[in-house]
Amino acid sequence: MSKNMTISKYISYLFLISICAAWAIPVIFGLTTSFRSQTEVINSGFRLLPLEWIMDNYRAILDNTSTAPIVRWLGNSLYIAILHTFFVVVVISLTGYGYSRMKFRGRDTMFFVLLGISFFPPVVNLIPSYKIIDALGWVNTSWAMIVPGLAGMGNIFLVRQFMLGIPHELDESARVDGAGDFRIYFSIILPLMKPVLIVCALFSFVGSWNDFLWPVIVYTDVDKMPITAGLLLLQDIYGNYRMIGQLMGSAMLAIIPTLLLFFFAQKYFIQSINLNSGIKG
Amino acid sequence: MKKKLALPLALVFLAVAVLSGCSGEDKNTITFWTPLTGEDGAYMNQLVENYNATNPEFKVKHIVTADMYTKLSTVLNTGKGVPDLAIIHADRVPGYVEQGLLEEMTTILAAQPEIKEENYLPQAWATGTVDGTQYTVPLDIHSNVMYYNKDLLAKYGAESFLDDNVVTIDEMLSLKGKLETGHYVVNDALIGWVILAQIQNLGGDIQENGKPAVNTPVMKQAFEEIKKVADAGLMTPFGEDGFLQFQSGNVLFSTDGTWSSTAHASVEGLNFGVTNVYSATPEKYTNRASSHLFAMLTNKDRSDEKEAGIGNFLEFIRQNSLEWAKAGQIVASKEVIESPEYKEYMQSFFTSNEEQIKSLYIYTYEHYPYIQEAIDQNAADLVRGNVDMDETLAKMQKQVEDKIAQGSSGAQ
Amino acid sequence: MAMKRKLMPAFFVGPHLILFIVFVLIPTVYGIYASFTQWNLNSDPVWTGLDNYRTILFDSESTFYRQFWNGLKNTLLFVALSVPLLIIIPLMVAVALEHKKVKMKGTIQAIIYVPGLISISAAALIWSLIFNKQLGVSSNVFGSDAVWSTTQPYAWMIIIILTIWGGVGGNMIIYRASINGVSKDLYEAGDIDGAGPIRKFFSITLPSIRFPLIYTFVMTTAGAFNVFGQPLMLTDGGPRESTTVLMMYIRQLAFGHGDSIAGMASAMAVLLGVVILVISALQYYVMNRNAN
Repeated sequence: MSKNMTISKYISYLFLISICAAWAIPVIFGLTTSFRSQTEVINSGFRLLPLEWIMDNYRAILDNTSTAPIVRWLGNSLYIAILHTFFVVVVISLTGYGYSRMKFRGRDTMFFVLLGISFFPPVVNLIPSYKIIDALGWVNTSWAMIVPGLAGMGNIFLVRQFMLGIPHELDESARVDGAGDFRIYFSIILPLMKPVLIVCALFSFVGSWNDFLWPVIVYTDVDKMPITAGLLLLQDIYGNYRMIGQLMGSAMLAIIPTLLLFFFAQKYFIQSINLNSGIKG
Repeated sequence: MKKKLALPLALVFLAVAVLSGCSGEDKNTITFWTPLTGEDGAYMNQLVENYNATNPEFKVKHIVTADMYTKLSTVLNTGKGVPDLAIIHADRVPGYVEQGLLEEMTTILAAQPEIKEENYLPQAWATGTVDGTQYTVPLDIHSNVMYYNKDLLAKYGAESFLDDNVVTIDEMLSLKGKLETGHYVVNDALIGWVILAQIQNLGGDIQENGKPAVNTPVMKQAFEEIKKVADAGLMTPFGEDGFLQFQSGNVLFSTDGTWSSTAHASVEGLNFGVTNVYSATPEKYTNRASSHLFAMLTNKDRSDEKEAGIGNFLEFIRQNSLEWAKAGQIVASKEVIESPEYKEYMQSFFTSNEEQIKSLYIYTYEHYPYIQEAIDQNAADLVRGNVDMDETLAKMQKQVEDKIAQGSSGAQ
Repeated sequence: MAMKRKLMPAFFVGPHLILFIVFVLIPTVYGIYASFTQWNLNSDPVWTGLDNYRTILFDSESTFYRQFWNGLKNTLLFVALSVPLLIIIPLMVAVALEHKKVKMKGTIQAIIYVPGLISISAAALIWSLIFNKQLGVSSNVFGSDAVWSTTQPYAWMIIIILTIWGGVGGNMIIYRASINGVSKDLYEAGDIDGAGPIRKFFSITLPSIRFPLIYTFVMTTAGAFNVFGQPLMLTDGGPRESTTVLMMYIRQLAFGHGDSIAGMASAMAVLLGVVILVISALQYYVMNRNAN
C-alpha cells in the first residue's frame, strides 16, 4: 500500500510540476518583458530572462502621474473591491439560505427563472443600466461599481449547490428544538457556509477588480477610477502595442492586490475548509 | 414584525440614499472629452494646461475616455453629462450630423475670424463641412504612411525608389529574388488602409451616386496589385507581426501610421525615414488619412458664453498646437505647420508642398465606416489568396448594403 | 406566527430580488425589447416587430444570417473544445494536490491561479509573442513552420491554450475546496477495502463533489458562450472568419465604427441567450438526475 502511495505521489508530482511549468513560463516571460526595452523585445527572440534589466517601463508608467494617478487608482480599486466583497458575502449568504433552506411556494422555479434570465448576454444593457445608475444619482460614485454586481446569480448558484450537499439533519434538529430561521442561519448554516463564502468573496473581489468596461462608462472623473479602467487610459487608442514593455508593466502592477488577497484567502480554503462539510455528518 | 421586514429594505435603500453625491458641473468649466489614451492623452493634457495657464474665463477640463463613443451614447440617452466639447474622428461626422448630434460651429466661426478654412489643411477642414455648414474644427490629420529602413535600402540598392516620392509596386517587385532569407520588402500593417489608398491611385471611389461601391473592378484591381507583392514572397508572412518585424530590421518598408514614429524612434539602431505609401501607379500616390476633430455634441445647457469660451480655446489650439506634433501627428493648423519648429518633425514631410498635402486623403462618404470594416475584415485573406476574390468582394458588397439598410441613417 | 413564517423568505431573498430586478431584469427586458427594433443607440428605437429575427434565422441571403450562423458554429466549436478541458484539468490538479505527500500546495495553487488575473490584452500579447514565428518558442523550441494565428487548426489551438491557461484557476479553487471537505473517513474506508486511487476518485471523490461539479459545468459553459476577447486579440477572427465567434459579430454590430445596428445585435444576443439557456438547462437536468 505504501508502495502504491509512493507511485501515486510521483505521478502527482510529475503532473503538477509539468502543469506549473507550462503555467508559469508565460507569466515569467510577461513579467520579465516588463523589464525589457523595446529594442530587446523585438530583437532577442524568446528568452525567459532579459539580457539587460531596465526600469524604464515602470518609470514611464509612474511618471505619467498627471494623466495617471496610479496609486490613487489602486486605492480606489481597493475601496470598491472591499465594500463590494463585503456586500456580496452578506447578500449571497442570505439569499443562498433562502433558496436552499426556506420553504416557500415556487422557490425553485423562481430561482431557476432568475438564473435563466441572468444567462442572457448583456450587450445593449449598458444603456438601460447607465440610465438606472443615472436615475439613482450614482454616476461618478463608487456605488455604481459596488451595487449592480450584487444582483448577479453566479455566486448564489454556487452557494445553493453547496447547501444542497449539506444534509438537513443539523438544521432540522435545531428547528425541532424551536430555533427560528435567524438562529439557524446565524448559528448553524453560516459557519458551514464559511468556505464557500470565502471562495465567492475571492471571486467577486477579483471580478470587481478586473471589470473594466463598466467603470469606463460610469466614471468621468479620472481620479475616481479603479485601476483596471485607469490603465486602459495609458494604452494606445490605436490598439497597437507601441510599447510592449509598458503594457506588460501595467498589467503586472494591476495583479498585485488580487495576488496578495489570494495568498491571504487560500489559507482558509486549504486548511479549515470543508465545502462539503455536511458529508462528514 | 414589520420592523424586521423593514430592516433589510432599509439597508438597501440606505445604500441607495447615502451617496447621491452629484458632481455639480462647474458653470465656468468646459468639459472636454477625448478618446486620446496613451501618450496622446498626455500631450493633449499639456496643451490644455498651457491654455488654462493663460487664465481664461472658462477653463478647460480634459477627460480622456477609453471607450468614448459608447460613453457618448450613454450620456446622450440620459441627456445629462453631455460634454461641452469633444474630439471625434473624421468618419463619425456624417453619421452624427445625420442623427442631429452635432451643434453647428457657426457662432464660434463668427466670433473667431482666424478659425477659417484658409488657416487649416483643406481636407481636414472639409471633413467637418456638411451641406455648407461647418460642424467641426480640425486638430490634426493622422495618416497611413510608409516608413523605410535606411540601412536596408542602402544594402539592397533601393534608395532610388524614393527619388520621385512614389514607391511603386513595380519597383518593389524588382527586388524579387534579391533579398536574404528572413528579409522582406514590406509588411502588412494597416493593409486595409493601403487598399483604400490604391482605390484613389487607380482613379476609383468607394461610392457611386451615394451607393456603396465595394464590388468594383477598381477594388478588385487594388487587391490584385497588392496581392502581387505577397505572391512574390516580398511581404512579411501572413500572421506574423509586420510592425515588430520592421522594428527588428528585417523589412524595408512599413505601412503603419504617423503615430508610430515615436515607437520606431525608441528602437535602438533602427535607422528609418518616412515617405508615401506605395502605389500601384507611378502617376499618383495617396495616403489614406483620418482626422481628429473638435466637435460640440448637441446640448441645450451649453450657454452662449461657454461657447465663446470654446471658441477661445480652439483659437489657442490653432496657434499653439505644436505640442501635438510630438504625438507624431500632422497638425491641421497652417500657422503651426508653417513654423520652423514644426519642420523638425518627421511628419512635416507630408505638408512640405501642395502635392504632398493633397496625398492625404480622408474618405467622407457617409457609409465609409461600414466599407472600411468590410475591407479590414477581409483584406488579409484576399491579399494572401486565401479566398476567392470575386466571391469575397460580392460578400463584402452585400455586407455593406445590409448594414446600411439596418443602420439608422439608411432607415429613414 | 403564520404571518411571520410567510414574511421570512422576503427577508432572505427579498434584498437580492430587488437588486436583481433593478440591475438585471430591467436591463435584460430592455435588451429584449431592443431586439424587436431598429436602433442606433443614440436616438429612440423604432419598433420593427419580428423583422430582425426573421432576417437572422431565415433570410439566407442576408449578411446577418451568414454572420449569426457562422458565429454560432464557431462559438459552439469553442465551447465544445474548451469546456471539457476547463473542467478536467482543474479537477486533475485538485486531485493531485489532495495527495497527502505532495508539498508546496499553496505555491502550486497560486501559480495556476495567477494567469487568470492578467488582463486579457496583456495575456494575449504574451502568448502572441510566444507563438510569434520570428521571436517566440513555437519556432525556436518546437521548430514549427506555420504561423499559428493564421493557420487552422493552430488558430483554434492558441485560442484554446490562452483560454485554458487563464481559465482553470477558478474551477480549481472550487474543486480544491470541495475535495478538501470530503470526509477522510470515506477514504480510509476505501483504503481498507483495498480501493486504488482511481477507484477512490470515481466512487468517493466524484460523488461527493457532485453539486459543485454541476455548478462549474453550467457556469463554465455559459461563460464560454460569451467568449470574444481571446479570438479578438489573438486571431482577429481569422483566418477566413473561422474563429469569429458570435459575440464578436454582436459587438461589432452594436459598437462598431459605423452607425450602430443595436437592434439586430440585440436579437442575436437574445438568440444566443436562448441557446445558452437550453444547453445549461439540459446540463443541469442530466447531471442532477445522475447525481441523485
